[in-house]
Amino acid sequence: MGRIAFHPASFLRSFWIPIWFRFGVIAFFATMSGFILGERWGYVTAILGLSLLIGFHLYYLKRVNSWLINSSLDESPPELPTGFGAWETVFFELRRARKRDQRRSAEVEETLNRFIEASSALPDGIIILDLADRIEWCNPSACTHFGLDLARDRGFLIANLVRQPAFTEYLVRADFSEPLHIPDPSSTLSLTVQFLPFQQNRRIILSRDVTRFMRVEAMRRDFIANVSHELRTPLTVVGGFLEQMVDQPDISNQQRARIHALMLDQSQRMQRLIEDLITLSRLESQSAPSMEESISARILVSQLLDEAGALSAGRHIIESHIDQSLTFLGAGEELRSAFGNLLSNAVRYTPAGGRISVALSASDAGAVFSVTDSGPGIAPEHLPRLTERFYRVDKSRSRETGGTGLGLAIVKHILARHGGRLDIESTVGKGSTFKALLPAARVARAALAA
Amino acid sequence: MDQTHISSQFDADLEDIRTRMLQMGGLVEQQVRAAIAIYADSNLGHQETIKATEVRINQMEIELDDRCTHLIVRRQPAAGDLRLVMAIVKTITDLERIGDEADKIARYAISMQERGQVHLPGFSDIHIAASTAVSMLKDALDAFARLDVSMAGNIVLQDKHIDNEFRSVLRQLITFMMEDPRTISTALDIIWIAKAIERIGDHAQNIAEYVIFVAKGTDVRHASKETLEQAVAS
Repeated sequence: MGRIAFHPASFLRSFWIPIWFRFGVIAFFATMSGFILGERWGYVTAILGLSLLIGFHLYYLKRVNSWLINSSLDESPPELPTGFGAWETVFFELRRARKRDQRRSAEVEETLNRFIEASSALPDGIIILDLADRIEWCNPSACTHFGLDLARDRGFLIANLVRQPAFTEYLVRADFSEPLHIPDPSSTLSLTVQFLPFQQNRRIILSRDVTRFMRVEAMRRDFIANVSHELRTPLTVVGGFLEQMVDQPDISNQQRARIHALMLDQSQRMQRLIEDLITLSRLESQSAPSMEESISARILVSQLLDEAGALSAGRHIIESHIDQSLTFLGAGEELRSAFGNLLSNAVRYTPAGGRISVALSASDAGAVFSVTDSGPGIAPEHLPRLTERFYRVDKSRSRETGGTGLGLAIVKHILARHGGRLDIESTVGKGSTFKALLPAARVARAALAA
Repeated sequence: MDQTHISSQFDADLEDIRTRMLQMGGLVEQQVRAAIAIYADSNLGHQETIKATEVRINQMEIELDDRCTHLIVRRQPAAGDLRLVMAIVKTITDLERIGDEADKIARYAISMQERGQVHLPGFSDIHIAASTAVSMLKDALDAFARLDVSMAGNIVLQDKHIDNEFRSVLRQLITFMMEDPRTISTALDIIWIAKAIERIGDHAQNIAEYVIFVAKGTDVRHASKETLEQAVAS
């Protein structure tokens, strides 16, 4: 079919010309047959011609109609029939309108998709409710927050699916000026929820996962409670003895000496605790240690073994397998403190006669300093919490051995600052292995470093 | 015109009752979690909330029962609607019982703590059973909200796990009691708690069976596994 430029004049011309042309042809033949065959045949010809024309138009009208029906049923409508005469322009315009609609709906769809993708990427949950508080749409974060599935739950009442009593009360109270905090008794997921009015009488629910925030908050509270408790215990002892000495000035020298020894012991304990706290806060605030200082593993470990031997006083069998050629790059004092902590823990917690083996080896991945003991072992539920400050597996025993409860926290921090980590494996009744892993960048062979 | 008005009002009433029942379910769910937290973490902070919630659960039971009776008398529901109302009436009873069981768990947990620490291993089995029971209850209520038959079917089959868990706890505790009679009173408390958890699982299973009844019209109580699967699949 021929292209017709869209211009009002040409459009009119192209629409009307074929029509007038057909009428003209019919009129011409009718007049001719009227002249040749007589008046009656003229009318007959005119009627026949006009009926033919009406039939022709009816045929195309039917095709347009069936096309419209099909195109409203199908997603992709059948191709428009090509027309003839005036119908050609009609079909052409229909096709143009159709294309324009398709383009527009594609644009709208794309905008909508972009919007949905954008809101899916949000870490906060969004639920859009309709007038009756039914779920109309929600993003994936909201699905995980409330255990919803958009495909399945669209159109369900939000109150039927989110049943936390605090949430339903908030929904009923309809005072949304303050955000709602939904506490979770099993503390796996704490949420802050806010309702936003939207259009008229509609609501959007925003939900935010505050689990980590709550956990940090709880840790801070626990830490302060623990520190005060740990500091108060020795202070109570010292204070008690001082009170006793004030009340009874005439105690025997022997008794006095015993009291002094105990007070000294407690004040040293406090001192150690405060030193550890200062170490921890220094470790937290400083940036990663430089690579400049190189520490010979041979010297470091042999010093540590001497100290451990002194602490053990012959009660344990201490053996070592040390790769003598290694050199560490980092803060020497910190590494000594980290490794020393692991070793002194092993000596403290392993009963007399136990075996402690120290190993230092290196691979492409880095160096591993490990301390294995044949002590009582640690139950699996304690393992993930061991490096928490003041966490104690057995409260009564740890204080006896003189620990501050901060040792492993310090070890963990030091290793983290050097890009390494602490691995703990333990079997109850068999013993434990504490492994300090340092990355390859922090380790060198002595031959290269020298 | 008038007819549609009445029936839409009826639908709204029915939906409202269901929502309230599910809210009661949410309250009961929280109650169970709080009770288990008392046992698991020795966290006595929930003690007061549990008492207050227990009172509210009982009030809701009475109120919902009354609403259901009124609905039946005034609207005379039929077919699916009647099944729904009947299921709600029964579910309320089960929910209230679950609330009572939670109360029991809290009571025994507190008495255990007041008596002092007698450490008995095997707590982890009860933890597994408790979290299974809580998730069964949650799933049962979810299935009720969505009238999701396949989910309900899964819950019914899940109850076996809790029963097994209960038996294994029982066996363990019997051994401990035989070895050391001093553990008997604590072990008995733990048994009561385990029993309460097992009962919560049973009630959750009942609720799941009502869901199948509402959606399919088949009563699957005391039915064999095959009948149940057939009802779910039909």
